Formats: sequence, structure tokens, C-alpha cells
Amino acid sequence: MVLFDVPGKLNMTGQIRFVLDGEVRELRGVAPTMTVLQWLRDDARRCGTKEGCAEGDCGACTVAIGERRGVDDMRYRAVNSCILFMPMLDGKELVTVESLKHEGRLHPVQRAMVECHGSQCGFCTPGFVMSLFTLYHSGKEPQRETVDDVLAGNLCRCTGYRPIIEAAQRMREYGAKDQFHRRAAATARQLAAIERRDTLALEKDGQRYFAPANLEEFTACFEQYPEAALVGGATDIGLWVTKRHQRPETQIYTGDIAELRRLKIGDDCIEIGGAASLGDVFDALLAEFADFGEILRRFGSVQVRNVATLGGNIANASPIGDIAPLLLALDAALLLRRNRETRLLPIDEFFLAYRKTALRNSEFIDAIRIPRARSGLKFRAYKISKRFDQDISAVCGAFALQLDGSRIAEIRMGFGGMAAVPKRAANAEAALIGEAWNEASARAAMRAIERDFEPMTDMRASAPYRLKLARNLLLKFFLETSNQPGATRVIRRDMAA
Amino acid sequence: MAPYIGTATSRVDGLAKVTGTAKYAAEYNAPGLAHASMVGATIAKGRITRIDTTAALRVDGVITVLTHENRPPLADNDQAYNDDVAPEGTPFRPLYDGRIIFNGQPIALVVANTLEAARFAASLVRADYLTEPHVTDIHTKRDRGLAVKDPITPLDALFAPPKQRGAPGPALDGADVRHDGEYYVPIEHHNPMEPFASTAVVESDGRLTIYDKTQGVQNVQRYLCSVLGLKQDDVRVISTFVGGAFGVGLRPQFQAVLAALAARALGRSVRVVLTRQQMYVLGYRPAMIQRIVVGANANGTLNAITHDAVTVTSQHENYYRQETGWSGLLYSCANAKYAHRLAKLDLPTACDMRGPSAATGVYALECAMDELAAALKIDPVELRLRCYSDRDQHDNRPYSSKALRECYHQGAEAFGWHTRNPEPRAMRDGSELVGWGMASGVWDAFQAAITVRIRLSANGHAEVACATSDIGTGTATVMTQVAADMLGLPLDSVSVLLGDSTLPASPVEGGSWIAASVSNGIAATADAIRKELLRLAALMPDSSLSGTEADDVGLVDGMLVSRRDNARAVSIADAMRHSAVDQIEREITTNPIEDAARAHNTHSAVFAEVKVDEQLGVIRVTRVVSAIAAGRIVNTKTATSQILGGVVWGIGMALHEETAIDHRFGRVMNANFAEYHVPVHADVHNIKVIFVDEADDSNPLGIKGVGEIGIVGVAAAIANAVHHATGKRVRDLPITLDKLLGKPS
Ligand code: FES
Ligand code: FES
Repeated sequence: MVLFDVPGKLNMTGQIRFVLDGEVRELRGVAPTMTVLQWLRDDARRCGTKEGCAEGDCGACTVAIGERRGVDDMRYRAVNSCILFMPMLDGKELVTVESLKHEGRLHPVQRAMVECHGSQCGFCTPGFVMSLFTLYHSGKEPQRETVDDVLAGNLCRCTGYRPIIEAAQRMREYGAKDQFHRRAAATARQLAAIERRDTLALEKDGQRYFAPANLEEFTACFEQYPEAALVGGATDIGLWVTKRHQRPETQIYTGDIAELRRLKIGDDCIEIGGAASLGDVFDALLAEFADFGEILRRFGSVQVRNVATLGGNIANASPIGDIAPLLLALDAALLLRRNRETRLLPIDEFFLAYRKTALRNSEFIDAIRIPRARSGLKFRAYKISKRFDQDISAVCGAFALQLDGSRIAEIRMGFGGMAAVPKRAANAEAALIGEAWNEASARAAMRAIERDFEPMTDMRASAPYRLKLARNLLLKFFLETSNQPGATRVIRRDMAA
Repeated sequence: MAPYIGTATSRVDGLAKVTGTAKYAAEYNAPGLAHASMVGATIAKGRITRIDTTAALRVDGVITVLTHENRPPLADNDQAYNDDVAPEGTPFRPLYDGRIIFNGQPIALVVANTLEAARFAASLVRADYLTEPHVTDIHTKRDRGLAVKDPITPLDALFAPPKQRGAPGPALDGADVRHDGEYYVPIEHHNPMEPFASTAVVESDGRLTIYDKTQGVQNVQRYLCSVLGLKQDDVRVISTFVGGAFGVGLRPQFQAVLAALAARALGRSVRVVLTRQQMYVLGYRPAMIQRIVVGANANGTLNAITHDAVTVTSQHENYYRQETGWSGLLYSCANAKYAHRLAKLDLPTACDMRGPSAATGVYALECAMDELAAALKIDPVELRLRCYSDRDQHDNRPYSSKALRECYHQGAEAFGWHTRNPEPRAMRDGSELVGWGMASGVWDAFQAAITVRIRLSANGHAEVACATSDIGTGTATVMTQVAADMLGLPLDSVSVLLGDSTLPASPVEGGSWIAASVSNGIAATADAIRKELLRLAALMPDSSLSGTEADDVGLVDGMLVSRRDNARAVSIADAMRHSAVDQIEREITTNPIEDAARAHNTHSAVFAEVKVDEQLGVIRVTRVVSAIAAGRIVNTKTATSQILGGVVWGIGMALHEETAIDHRFGRVMNANFAEYHVPVHADVHNIKVIFVDEADDSNPLGIKGVGEIGIVGVAAAIANAVHHATGKRVRDLPITLDKLLGKPS
């Protein structure tokens, strides 16, 4: 078998390079699916980073990934090392709990955790420390809401969380700058020096891994290996490997391709590259559609958002994915590409059947285009799950309404969890077009929804409950958009304690 | 020097924990360490007809695959598998034979040079089975339960339902108001953050050192010796740090046997780490169907209570605790009757989980009391005060202390309870319904025999040693504080050794008994040290302390000081040096003080506020006040943290936690954190913990323990608040959105 048969500039050194504790580490012969957690605990003997679940659900394995921001600054993101593959570290800085103590002194985050009693059994603690480390470096004020968000992906079974929240709020009292601030410029230079402009190609035990640095090399690579697994954030593929022991023969990592991580805010639409992480686009979407931001926030932990991609979430075609319903309501379109050919497909034509999409061989999602919010657009999205955060939806519903005077000019409703694919509520929409937006029309549409869906009963919810939710979500949307007194919702306004 | 007892001392192990240097069972290394991965059965009941390990053995790096067919010898009698806390029955024997008695039961252990190879190879082991029909649903067996046997031993009596008192039947018939309700709590899993793991290290002399995740190193040590047929000296068990256990580490778990077995078979050190999913077969809080009938007089006093329970256990062991007895204990009531049956299912044996029996039993009782209050139109707090009892109702004896009344008062005050509108659905915040509910909590204040060794050096350093574990509760910190106070030393002059089976004897850590036991053990041992110091001091020429009685001197700031005249003092160092003594060592076993004439309990009053979105049923617990009466609080930081943790467990129990079993296969469906919901940050809002003063003289330090009381009553307070908010009474936990979105009841 010819292992690498790809035109373009291949980096065949078989080596990955990253910075750890101020030094460039060069590793050879790493299996493409070795996780950063395995490497840390087994090879590097750095056991401070814990394994609580190995599936991205608990945050015990949280580490910080440093990336260059401009020429002399750094930014840090929290990620779950249990589902992050080693080659993805290439060109980055890795920070673990062992990196924080400096010249014999605890890091401000660590001191706050000790003082506030943020640790009981201590097993979750290193993960919390690292999530707090990224908050410390974000420069954000530790408001309760921000802290909740930053720590949403870290579970603790002992402390009841409050002491940790307090530690988050007090950590800067123990020092406003740390050694990472002080050596940011030097680290940025180190990273610049190991930056790659070619395609990293690795092979071990019959597994191939490519990390193209630009779109052209990527398409060439994908043409060559149409069966390859495209890896954006590895949040899904990581599970195949750690849980199902599958070993994809060929993986192409898309996270280094700047073009595919683009975010363009045009006059008519927001264009988001298929490999942009949810973290990359969070602020822009929040600014444009407040509820999109809210759903993204609750979609997954910061650790997951920092690596999971919008394109991956769509291509996955999960019937319970939380993003597709929003895009359906917002009338988004997908720019699909195979090599140089592109086509634009409305998103409601993309999902064909359970986990089946309109993607052809070697075709991928180049970008997602979301029309800008026109004036008067009313957009709401709701995620209903048993637990408020970090939970898979029973039902996710999104609604976009445009009135023409008092009549409904346009309405789109996208639902997840109601059918085998994310789907619009065609009957309910039809019942409303041209009607006045009032309780009677809303109730008529609620009845119509029952003809749109035949949901399933499973562990998360029963079919009748799902239908009831879908109807009540429409009612809620009506109440929220028709200036009814007392119409509001359960979000976090009054949650700051 | 101010005393450390009663202060907010930071944890002594905080530094190791925040820097990642605290080492857990899976983090010990040894030359040539092999990694092992367990394979679980895929049926619930039957027998293995063939097990095929060839594909696994072919994987690069695999050393061996152990199964029941090729394992080293294991003991062949039940007695050998009985551990300190085993319930009656036939304990499970890992890899013993081809019988399958629960889904996920270990059937093979793949040992390899790397964990990756072991895990991959484990996925290739194939087994054929002869399956037998199984039952895993408590509901199908609710009417065919085995009655809990009448107690024979005092231990049985601790767990079996108490004897009936009075004549509950006629009393109920004569009651002005009667409430009859059935409540349900599903199976729940502990889910400590640290996966269960054991590293079995073969020492150069062939002995085994097992680094284990456990709540009782000596329990595991004895168990392994008897199961593997080894001498006491051949096995040492160490558990310095434990990443949470909450009861599932009380009994020796099978990964320890597997690791030791493989190490013996290979003569090589082996580590076994269970996956998160595999931990769902270790043990669980038993599901519980319970029916409570209460009869009351119109004035709000109780005249009868009956409590019937069905709880889950395995086919092979009868696990139960005194699930029903709390109902007859807590309130003044002349007539009471209990019944407890076991639904024996094809599952692993249930086990203790935070506040075992009380978390579930008191949940039902306190919901029933709330329903009764509504029926009587009496405020829920007022009802409890009218039923208040200063005597243990089972045995009609006084309490050593009981400040529950204070808990009600201080808790209600801090919560603002008096402004509550009693009508359901009457309180709102914007579009949200607001509900306020409350409940009482109760737990035992146990104490157990324990041995403590103290070595005091002439340089002023003390080493305190006891085999107890510190499962994260702060035992090491509490031990340091107590020793420092008792010996008159600064905290950093005290070091603590624990979690090692070679140390002086300790029971397993659980049931909230360790803090009181070990603290009093330290006090007693420090007393002996003090006496010896006084003897040495009196030997000094012109000693100012000669002729002083031991009880008249204290240890303060490195000095032996007369309590009557603090000018009469001798430095500890001088006293020891004068007699050329470098070290004083005492090892003392402290038994709990016999005090059967009084009852020993901790209590709480829990107040909860919920906000409920009307259209969607989304519930948030926005405020909790937990007022605790638990004797003397040694460390307000660790104790507050214990209660906070307990309250959050109660939130999980009320709203989220539930193990779902696919009864077709008898297999847990949600064996992961994505689908088994433990509370997250966003679920936790305002929680206030109040410790009310409660002087207790049943042990010298007046300590009662706080590990369990924090969870008891919380789920009931929340369920009661949900009813107050919505008018809907959900009696089966967890209270999920779909259960709320029906018609008001
Ligand atoms: S180990 Fe749980 S998220 Fe990685
Ligand atoms: S301290 Fe034990 S899990 Fe957080």
C-alpha cells in the first residue's frame, strides 16, 4: 500500500512539534489516534491530568491549548485532552496543571482553590484549575454567568460547586499576572518558529493522518482519499476511537485550514467556514441572534465548543443536533464543495434521512451562509432538556417570524428531536402565512404541528411529551413576540447569586 | 495559641490536589507494570458455554487473558468472600466460574504492555452463553418480595424494621385526617469522579502492595488474603487519596481481586482501571417503592404511621438498611408499623450510597408530612413542631442532644419562611411559578472502635497514624487539627499517616462515623502521651509540676502547663531531653462510650425554593437553606463543604438522577455522564448552611459527623416546593419536566 499518495507539499518528517513548559517538544512515531491524555499520563508521566470518563463529558482531563495571537501575544483555550489527538497539538502550546506552579509558588488560580476550599477528594480539581486558568487569561470579568459557562464542562461530585465558583471570583486577588503573561511574546515567537506551511503527514500501524495547511492541499488530499474521516474537533471521532475502538484508516484534520475557519460578516449574510469551531463564531452569532448564542452556550461545554465545528455538527445529521433547527428557521444555505466545484444548497434540502445527507463523494461543507437579521425579524430558539446545561435535548425548536404590518409574511420553524432528521414544521408554517399573529392563529398552528411530526419515545422523552413540547414552544414563541404581559423565559437573568 | 478545633482550617492536602501531585490508585508505577482491561458479560443471567480469547491474544503487546478457565486458584467458600460490611448471602466471586449473575459481570481480564492494547484486545474477546430468563424490574417483583428477616444479632436489629408499637390499624381508622401515598426512588449510581482502579505491585520479595481505591484498606487487605489464600503479611493495601466514593468503596470491589490475581499469575505488577461504564455494575442505591400512611388529629398531632417498603437487591445477597424505621423515629406518634420486602433481581447487589436508607426513607416521610400539612391546613414547619419529640420514639429514651427545634427556627428565619403564601400556585416571579418547601432530616451519630498511634519527637513534631481512609471528606485535615490541639502544637508540626493497611486498625470510612471515632481516638492517645510527659517532667530536678495530677495539666505551645497555675510549666523538649527520650510513642484503641440509655442522632431542617416555567415545566432550585444540628463542628470549612455537597446531591436526586435499565437485556442504558445526570454548575444557586449550636457529651469532643446528614430531606424539600409552585404532586423521583406537564393534581 502506498501510504501517502497526495500531490502537494507533504511534511514527511513524521514529527509533531509543540511547546510544553517553555520548551519545544518534538515527537516522532506518535499514533495519529493517541490522545493527549494518554500521552500525558502514560508517556510523559504527568498524572495531574485525570481521566474521569474518556468521552468528553466530565472535564477532569482539561488542559489549556495556547495559540499565537499576532506576533507577540497568546490566547488560551480549554479542551478535553481525552478526545484530542496528539497531532492536533502540532504548532501549539500545551499547558497542564503541572505547568502552573512557578518558582516554588502556587499560581493565583491554585491559591484561590486552596483558600476557598474548592477541592475535596481532589480528582476533579486539576481540570477545574485548568478551566479557571483559561478564564484567568481571557481577561473576562468573573461574573457568575461567565463562571458558569466556563465551568459548565467540569463535573464535581463532592464540593457542590459553590466553593469553586467563589475561587473563580477571587482568583485575581492572588495576582493579576502570571508567568504566562510575562513570557507571552517569547512563546509566540516559539510558536511562529514551528508553524508549518505544508501538509503534515503521519503514518503508524496502517493509520494515516493528514493536516493540510490550506484549502488547495486539503481538496487534493480529500480527492485522493474520499473515504477519509474529516476531523474538525474530534469530539465525535474521538469517541469512536476511545469507546468503540475503531481506528479510522485515514483522517484529514481541517483545523489548520484558515480558509475553512473563515468568518465573514457580509451585508446580506454571515458566512462561516465549515471547519470554524463553535467557539470561533460564538460572539458573532450571539451579537446577530441572541438566542443562537444562548443555544450554542448550552450546546456543550466550553471545552467542546472550542473544538467542535459548525460544519461537523451539520454533516453529522444527528436528529437531535441543536444547531440544525436554528439554521432551518433562519433559512441558511450550505456552500458545498468538491475540489473546485461548488454548489449552494438550502439547508432544508440537506438532510435526507436518518443520518443521511446530500453530500456526495469527496464533497464537504465549505461554508454555511446565514442571512443577516432583517429589521423586524423575530427569532427565538429553545432547547428543552432534563438538565439545564450540558444535556442532550429532548426537543429543540427555533422560530423566525417576519410580519408585514399585522400579517405574517414569513415564518419558519425548525425542530430537532421530533423526527429522524432536523425538520421544518411545514403544516404549522402554512397555517400561519398571511394570517394575523394572534393567539387564535398561534393555537391553530399548534394543532397543525401535530400533523407535522410523529416523534419517538425514548429514554429522554415520550412521544406525547415531545409533541406537547413542540406545541407549547410555539405558544411560548407567540407569547414572547406579541408583547403579552408576563411573557418571558427561563434563562439566567436572575441567577446570579 | 487559639484552638484549631472549630475553625475554618484549610485542607492539609489542598496543595497536593491543586498542583496535580496527589497520587490516586491508578497513578502508581512499578518496573514492568502491565495494564489490564476488564471484559464484561453481555447477558444478565446464564452461563458461559465458550469463551474465545484467540483474537485478543493475537493483538500486539497482549500478555495474557485471564478467564474463569485459566485463572490462578481462588477460595471456594462463601466465608472467604465475606468482607467487613457484606450483607447476608453468597458474595459474588470474580472470574470464579462460568455462571453469570448480572450483566456486565467481569468474565475476562486482558493484560497487555500498554493500556491501549489491553482495551483494544478486550473488545475482541468473545463469549457464547446459555441464557436463562432474568428479571431486573422492581415493579414486576413488587408483590413477590422477600420479607426482611426478624433480627437475630444486634447488627441485624440495626437494619431490620423496628417492632410495631401500639395499634396502628384502629388508630388510623380513628384519625381525623389520613394521608396515604406511594413514593418511588429509582436506582441511582454514586459516580465518584475517579474511576475505580487498583495497581497491584509485586515487591522484590514477592509480596503484593495494592494501591486501591477504597474506603477501607484493612477490609480490602483481609478480603484479598482470604480470597487469594495468602498470609496477612503477604498483602498490603494503600489508599492515600481517594477521588470520591460515597459508599461504593465500602466493600472490596472486583478490580482489586482482578489486579491481584493477574499480578500473582504473571509475577508482574498489574494495573486495572475500570471505565466509567464498567463502574455501573459496582453497586447502586437500591430503587425503593414505599407506601406511607399517616393519621393525624385535627390539631396536628400524629396518631399513627405505617411505612411499607420494597427495595432492590441481587439474587445472591440481601442488602437492606433500616429504610422504614426513620418514619417512626422522628415524630411523636403512639402507633407505628413497618414492613420491608426485598425485590431480588438479576443485578449486582445494591450498596450504601450517601445517607443510605435515610435519603430515600425520609424523602417519603417528609413528602407525606407535607401532604398531611396541606390536608390539615397547618403550616409545614408548624406541623413538625406540633409533632416534635424529645425522645427516641422507638425505644422511648432521651437523645444525647437534639437541637432540631433550633434548626427549624434558624432555618425558617434565614429563609424568610414566614412570608410564604400557603396556597399552591400563589407565588410568582414574572412568568415563573415560585414554590417554597421544607423537610426535616435525620441521621445516626455513630462511633466505632479505632486505634490511633502517635509518635511525639523531642523536636516538637508529632506523627499521627491510623488506617482510616480520607475519601475526600477532610479526615486528614480534621485529624491534624485535633492532634495539634490535643498536643499543643502548631498545625505544621503534625503529620498524618492514613490509608495504609499496616497502620493501626480502623473501620471502613463511611456512615459519618470516622470524624467522631478518630478524633476521640486521637484525644485518648494524646492523653496517654501527656501522662507520659508529665511523668518525665516530674523527674526533672525542682520540677514545678511534680505532684501534679495528669488531669490538671494541659499541653500548650510546646509546654506542659498546670491548668490551675500557668506559671507552673515545663517545656516538652526539656522534659524529654532530661530523660534522654527522643520519642514517645503510644498506640491506643478507643471504644465508643457505652451510652445505650440515650439515642444519638444528627438532625437538619431543609428549606428550598424552586422556580418553574409554566409552559415547559423547567424547574430550577434557586435557594436552599440547610440548618444542621450535628454536635460540635471540628472544621467549619470541611463541614460546610460536606453539607453543600450533600445538598447538591439532594438536588440531583430530586430532579435528575436515575439509572435506566433496559429490562430486555438487564443492562444499564445510561452508563455515562452524558445521560446519567449529576448536577452541574448551572443547577446550583444560593445554598446557605447553618450549623446550630448543639452541645453533646456522649464523647469527650462532642463530635457527631456530617457526611450523610446534608443529603437527607433535600429531595423532599424540593418535591414539596415543586408542589407548592405548581399544585402538582410528583411522587416518583426524579421530578422531570414531562411528569410536571400534566394536569394539576
Ligand atoms: S475524561 Fe472526562 S472529559 Fe475527558
Ligand atoms: S472534589 Fe471530588 S469530584 Fe470534585
